Amino acid sequence: MTVSRREFMRSGCAALVGLSIKGDRPILGSFVNESFQQGHSLRDRASFPAPKQIVRIPVVIIGGGIAGLSAAWRFEGKGFSDFLLLEMNDQVGGNSRWGENEITSYPWAAHYVPVPGPKAVLVRELFEDLGVLKNGEWEERYLCFAPQERLFLYGRWQEGIEPAIGLKEKDRDQFRRLEEQIHRFRASGNFTVPMETGLSERNADLDRISFSAWLRGQGMDSRILNWYMNYCCRDDYGSTTDETSAWAGIQYFASREPEEKGPLTWPEGNGWIVRRLLERVGGFCRTGQMVHRISQEKRAIRVFAGETEYQAEFAIFAAPTFVAPYLIEGLSALQDFEYSPWLTANLTLERLPAAYGGDPTWDSVFLESPTLGYVDATHQTLRTHIDRTVWTFYWALADGPASGNRQRLLNNDWNYWKEAILRDLERVHPDIRKCVSRIDIMRMGHAMARPKVGAVFSLERRQLKKTNGRVLFANSDLSGFSIFEEAQYRGVTAAETVLKDLAGDSRKAPHR
Amino acid sequence: MGILLFITVLLIAACGLIYELIAGTLASYLLGDSVLQFSTIIGCYLFAMGIGSALSRFIARGLAYRFVWIELLLGVVGGFSSALLFLAFAYAQGFQLLMYALVIIIGLLVGLEIPLLMRIVRGRYHFRDVVAHVLTFDYLGALGASLLFPILLVPYLGLVRSAMLFGIINVAVALWSTFLFANQIAKAWALRVVCLVVLVGLSFGLAEAKHITMAAEDNIYADEIIFARDTRYQHIVLTRFKDDIRLFLNSHLQFSSRDEYRYHEALVHPGLSAIPAPRRVLVLGGGDGLAVREILKYPQVETVTLVDLDPEMTRLFSSHPLLTALNQKSLSSPKVHVVNADAFPWVDSNRESFDFMVIDFPDPTNYSLGKLYTTTFYKAAARHLSAQGLMVVQSTSPMFARDSYWCIAETIKQAGLRIFPYHVYVPSFGEWGFVIAGFRDYQQPTSLPSGLRFMNVQGLPVLFQFPPDMAPLPMPPNRLNDQLLVRLYDQDWKDISH
Repeated sequence: MTVSRREFMRSGCAALVGLSIKGDRPILGSFVNESFQQGHSLRDRASFPAPKQIVRIPVVIIGGGIAGLSAAWRFEGKGFSDFLLLEMNDQVGGNSRWGENEITSYPWAAHYVPVPGPKAVLVRELFEDLGVLKNGEWEERYLCFAPQERLFLYGRWQEGIEPAIGLKEKDRDQFRRLEEQIHRFRASGNFTVPMETGLSERNADLDRISFSAWLRGQGMDSRILNWYMNYCCRDDYGSTTDETSAWAGIQYFASREPEEKGPLTWPEGNGWIVRRLLERVGGFCRTGQMVHRISQEKRAIRVFAGETEYQAEFAIFAAPTFVAPYLIEGLSALQDFEYSPWLTANLTLERLPAAYGGDPTWDSVFLESPTLGYVDATHQTLRTHIDRTVWTFYWALADGPASGNRQRLLNNDWNYWKEAILRDLERVHPDIRKCVSRIDIMRMGHAMARPKVGAVFSLERRQLKKTNGRVLFANSDLSGFSIFEEAQYRGVTAAETVLKDLAGDSRKAPHR
Repeated sequence: MGILLFITVLLIAACGLIYELIAGTLASYLLGDSVLQFSTIIGCYLFAMGIGSALSRFIARGLAYRFVWIELLLGVVGGFSSALLFLAFAYAQGFQLLMYALVIIIGLLVGLEIPLLMRIVRGRYHFRDVVAHVLTFDYLGALGASLLFPILLVPYLGLVRSAMLFGIINVAVALWSTFLFANQIAKAWALRVVCLVVLVGLSFGLAEAKHITMAAEDNIYADEIIFARDTRYQHIVLTRFKDDIRLFLNSHLQFSSRDEYRYHEALVHPGLSAIPAPRRVLVLGGGDGLAVREILKYPQVETVTLVDLDPEMTRLFSSHPLLTALNQKSLSSPKVHVVNADAFPWVDSNRESFDFMVIDFPDPTNYSLGKLYTTTFYKAAARHLSAQGLMVVQSTSPMFARDSYWCIAETIKQAGLRIFPYHVYVPSFGEWGFVIAGFRDYQQPTSLPSGLRFMNVQGLPVLFQFPPDMAPLPMPPNRLNDQLLVRLYDQDWKDISH
């Protein structure tokens, strides 16, 4: 061991005055962005105040996540401004919310968008508008910097998350066969982003079995392959391969180009997109407006939020669809909408933990961990020197029934989760406690739609995708799973339908 | 007893001279100008000895007891003097003040030694014998020390441990004197305990001196380390061997003062001399001020903006006498504006225009530094370039890292610039490469500033010719999301070392 002179002096001085220099600083933090109480007040049918004012507005967007903001973006782009967006929380963004401290901005949930393929027309249009796509070229600074991902396994890091070291011939063979299968599914054109453009009844049978059952059926029993498949499902859907529809498992791989140099990402994750959208449509957004009742009438739709009643011609319901039956009078309970509970945490690091070979990456994953690892918010910075950072830690509570995991989320205090997170990180970074000064934790009981067996082709979903009178559903969960492109697609197409209908209406009866 | 007594004289004389030599050498290493340092230190030291001798008359009683104490003090002060000076140089202000204070204290104590000793033994010998013997052995000791110092001590022990070793000898003399003059000292045992404690302290120091001197780093660096500091951003080490000063950042050689003129003349002049009226110049990296020194040879240049990450680096090269002698105080020029910032965000957010840009970053040894060699970086840099402007990019070695060199050239090209690659031989680096880039065609200059040591107009065309073993290779560009260069560079050097 070599000791620098400074350390030598410091330890010498400390020994002289009898002080320990190893005293750990306390780790601060709390739960943040909690919205259980508001949500549960709806579930428990609490009584809400009677409206004190009536606002007449042609269109109301309910929910300020990517779907709602995308609808607003389309309205604004088409020069339509007779609408408002109501958001329950104090901050719009939904699963693309972000935070910021003196070190960096950082994501609270969704943190990247895979490089959109040619079929993702609307996402490409958005990215052209935001300067991410210029003359057919992706702006380099928004593509994830190298090195992108690493996996900790057998006491060391490897580049990339797909396990590449320690594979036996059998594992390699099965990875190869899976790749061939995926290639065939990709070539079929039925697995696309957005999913609606390629969706075909031909593959409905894949939605009737779980992904793990399908893998077994293909003779793919490699432990390491199954770990990787399970990791991917937990990462994108918050559910295990046992709980995920085979169609969705295949969609994860077959809908993406294999050779993309991406993804697109920003320090605050998809919060960057929200920020850019807010620059365009922020004036239409009303935060802290929890809608508690929606009633459809022949000539209008009445949306009650706080002490205001909005009387509109159309409502775009971009909030999570499972809330709809609690709000929309006459809508019966939904059976096929299940959601995954999640936990994300942002850890402030005052220094970087000791490295174990290789450069730090954007995304770090640990083999055989129940969590999903962490993403470094300062990775996507132009700075060359980084001595403090923020890590966003992801944990989909995927094992076991969702209701039990929701209870676990609610019943345990911050200290419990802080320790659980640190213990997971400690397996790879033994000195992590000496680096971290703060851990803020966000608990989400219904973080994302879970594409369980039968969810994608469910009748209920098909019905909700159609216009339901004056309510248009637009949340990504209509696709069966929550990804940025689905939300954006649903939001924009809902806005386009509304614009068309309004044009039709005005031809029949001009409303001004 | 006689011979033991005179060996004592010999040893204390050697110790005194060693401390003086160490102070002189250290000052020359750290501050430069060895004539000045040695002269002033010898002067102060002898003067302090004179004061010590003068003061000896005030010591009337307990001569042997006080002699032992003087030896003890000398052992401690002298023994730790070198370590203390190194630490002060790296971590504190007022290095010179401390150095002269130490020299004077040591001089005072040494000045007391011989008069006291002569008085202690005067009863035993004739006065003329005392004077003759004591002074004989005194000068013999000095001869021994002055031969030992350059031949054995500096090369094998280093300055810090040499001082510790002679501190131990001083204390050993103290201990031995308690036996030698036992009949003149009451409570000799108490003194012996003190001696032993100090001996243990110094021995510990000798054993641990590695940590203090950075002798651990001596394995990495061939030459004596004269400065080492961990800044927030990097590990800065300066070494010196004779008149060769070398700068290492994170153990990578940045320059050797013997041939840095080749590197910096070649970095600056082929580009800057080709610009008709360069007024505004930007330097990215290069906190050593050596490129700026070359730029200041153009009187037309009105401002030089130097962007370097590490304030300690630019401070060191603005204030350290050895280094300002090297960069000719370029960083203190009123034309020069030092900005301590991370270069990429600075380039990305700043909107100033420059006629000439020097991009002189450390080699792309990791993904962080690799960002500074990407299409995105060169595009951002190109936005600062005036229509007639040029930039020059340090581009690693086309000889030892041929793939890397041509990858950098291709990256600059893909950023929309015309490239003009060239190379130069710098003995301490080997064959080194640069790329001039701009929006326009580049014409080699027909005149260069006067007083250059390496560059001349006749030599210019050769620099732009690449022999077959360094000839262009087709390479993809280095991008932020696919840093090919870092892997290439790593592989290039692995190929060399195997």
